[in-house]
Amino acid sequence: MTTATAPARPARAARRLPAPPSFLRLCWIELRRSPMPLILPLIALLFWFDSYRPSTTQAPLYPLVTFWNLGQGHTIIDFGPFVAGMSAWIGSRDGRRNTVDLVSATPRPRWAAQLAAWASAAAWAVAGYLACIGVTFALYAHRGVAGSPPWWWVAVGACAVLAFSAAGFTAGTLLPNRFAAPIAAFGGFLVMMMSSQAGFADRSGWALILPSNSNGNFQADSGILYPWLPDLPIARTMFFAGITVAAISVAGLPAAAGGRRLRMTAAALTAAGLATTGTAVGLASTARLSAHGMVIPALHDAASDRLTSYTPVCTGTGFRVCVNPAYRRYLADTAAALAPAVASVAGLPGAPVRAVQGPAVYDSADGGGGQPVTISGSPPVLSVPLGAWSFLPGINGFSTGPDSVGAFRQSVWLLFGQAFVGAGHGPGTPAQQAVQAALLQRLGVPFADQPGLLGSIELTSGHPEPLPGPVAAAAGRLAALPAATRHAWLATHLAALRAGDVPLSQLP
Amino acid sequence: MNVELTELARRFGRNQAVAGVSLQAGPGVYGLLGPNGAGKTSLLRMMATVLPPSSGKMRLLGRDPGNHTQRREVRRRLGYLPQTLGYYPGFTVAEFVEYFALLKDMPPGQVPRAVATAVERVGLGDKGRAKLKTLSGGMLRRAGIAQAIVNRPDLLLLDEPTAGLDPEQRVTFRALLREIGEQATVVVSTHLVEDVGAACTEVALMDRGRVVFHGTPGELTARGEGSGAAGDAPLERGYSAVLAAARS
Repeated sequence: MTTATAPARPARAARRLPAPPSFLRLCWIELRRSPMPLILPLIALLFWFDSYRPSTTQAPLYPLVTFWNLGQGHTIIDFGPFVAGMSAWIGSRDGRRNTVDLVSATPRPRWAAQLAAWASAAAWAVAGYLACIGVTFALYAHRGVAGSPPWWWVAVGACAVLAFSAAGFTAGTLLPNRFAAPIAAFGGFLVMMMSSQAGFADRSGWALILPSNSNGNFQADSGILYPWLPDLPIARTMFFAGITVAAISVAGLPAAAGGRRLRMTAAALTAAGLATTGTAVGLASTARLSAHGMVIPALHDAASDRLTSYTPVCTGTGFRVCVNPAYRRYLADTAAALAPAVASVAGLPGAPVRAVQGPAVYDSADGGGGQPVTISGSPPVLSVPLGAWSFLPGINGFSTGPDSVGAFRQSVWLLFGQAFVGAGHGPGTPAQQAVQAALLQRLGVPFADQPGLLGSIELTSGHPEPLPGPVAAAAGRLAALPAATRHAWLATHLAALRAGDVPLSQLP
Repeated sequence: MNVELTELARRFGRNQAVAGVSLQAGPGVYGLLGPNGAGKTSLLRMMATVLPPSSGKMRLLGRDPGNHTQRREVRRRLGYLPQTLGYYPGFTVAEFVEYFALLKDMPPGQVPRAVATAVERVGLGDKGRAKLKTLSGGMLRRAGIAQAIVNRPDLLLLDEPTAGLDPEQRVTFRALLREIGEQATVVVSTHLVEDVGAACTEVALMDRGRVVFHGTPGELTARGEGSGAAGDAPLERGYSAVLAAARS
């Protein structure tokens, strides 16, 4: 007997893994052959131009860089219509490919086969979305974006992609021809446009549930000084989850989808999905504005309101300025801006002895703008809400170029003066306006430039018009006084000035 | 009996596609012959449980397909190849067959071997990894047959199965039919009377929704003898003679 003819030694029985359940195996086949990945490069390109690039023009803080793409829902706009269209293409497959009879002649309900096709398409779409977000966050990390990412908003986006996928797929099953895909894509686009329009118009109520409603999404200092508020994202996640369940269950309602019991289950799921969606809309309509975001009482956790503890980074020997480590890059500029302003009032009652970073107060109307600084406590401490300022030095918002350090200083001086004279959130009394103008002039901002400065930082209290004649005249007189004289007058009248009890005529 | 049809009828609007067909069939290969529009495809679709009959009774594999639970039982043991084979162009041959094996509720552990066997039986063993969109029409037809037989059906319904097959494949396929027909009921709808002669144990001839002849291929051939009916082969002459008699 030669080696070639010798009987093979019986191989040891190979240890086989149990076969996966049929549904998972169906999903695996669908996953391998799903056409959804074909559309993902196009979506990624759109995402790059529409979601990522605009975000790079923001200051490198998570609440700011994610405001455009996640807060205003541009990522969902980029993904939604295309995912809906491709899902509809997949959903209409049996009709287009003439496989209805083949699939219907099998014992497995047609809805189950459809679920496998949808689950695979949705998995690709969500994976594409998460990949885009992952790459974006990696680029942010490389750029040194500070704070923590808004994971809740990422979850909202993933659920939105699922919902578009489910709605598109079901549209495809109900309209099984080649027109299903363009109709679903256009429908998705239309929905997002309507959502954006309603979102910009309505700052409260049910419209807050809409995915591109940015009112309620801008949460300055979230993930830095505060945790991200999960209230509105939870409601929106419910909203999209409900739509997903309802939409995909509708595909199980037709007689061809399966047996009576299965169709009753589909009907129950449709009702449950709609109820969840309705509940989410109801919850959103109870939302109210808090200091750092939208609060939905039924979903709110008081722990979210607590400031995050951190070890500040500080600079300065005499007058120390301390900020959150996330704002480290602005510390030197802030200290340099405050130094001459603080020096100009040194020794006066209420002059701050140090500056700390204060939390920004959320405002859905202006998205932060130029929130005022405050002076409080004994000894007086200056609280600087850096997170609320859109004029931080460097690249910011949609400005054509980076904001200059000079402009930043002037804005800080303006806000400092406003706080020092006790003008609070408004322009103040004529006397307070005159003293502010004089302080600014002494710091190097000519009277002629001051209205422009007021307008440029978008103060809610701003009034870019020239100062009224008597106020301008009084400011000119005060600024022209010798420093010691001006100092002495302020030392005497500062308390009354802050109380609003000094008439303009009383200024020297 | 695996197939028991009693006065089965199907109407599409004003068109009576199937007009009271009664048939009984046990294991074996049954040929369903008839001109275009005779109702063969509608009858096969009803037997495949994808088209509900307008009236009449039908029992398949001893079960009532009108009952949801029993219909599922029937479908588990059913193989069906439609006249126009739809397919997913991005799937490979093996995936396509596996997909339908899974839809037929086959135990997952048995699926890989069953798929390999079915693909091998239709002569596509070397094309298992080829995508369907790359196959010729005949190969696609064979892939369709593979999905129909993957679950070793007790009732196999084939609508024009040999359309597009080359002569060599047709011979192989007829042998496959005979082999399956030893234990299962195979109903083959076809225009090609030579398929019936070579593979079928019984034949039914349909015209205008009715069965106008039911018997063995030999009996059909006998009907044509001396009738002067048109046809190049004895079976064709029998076919023509029966049709002419039914229409006279």
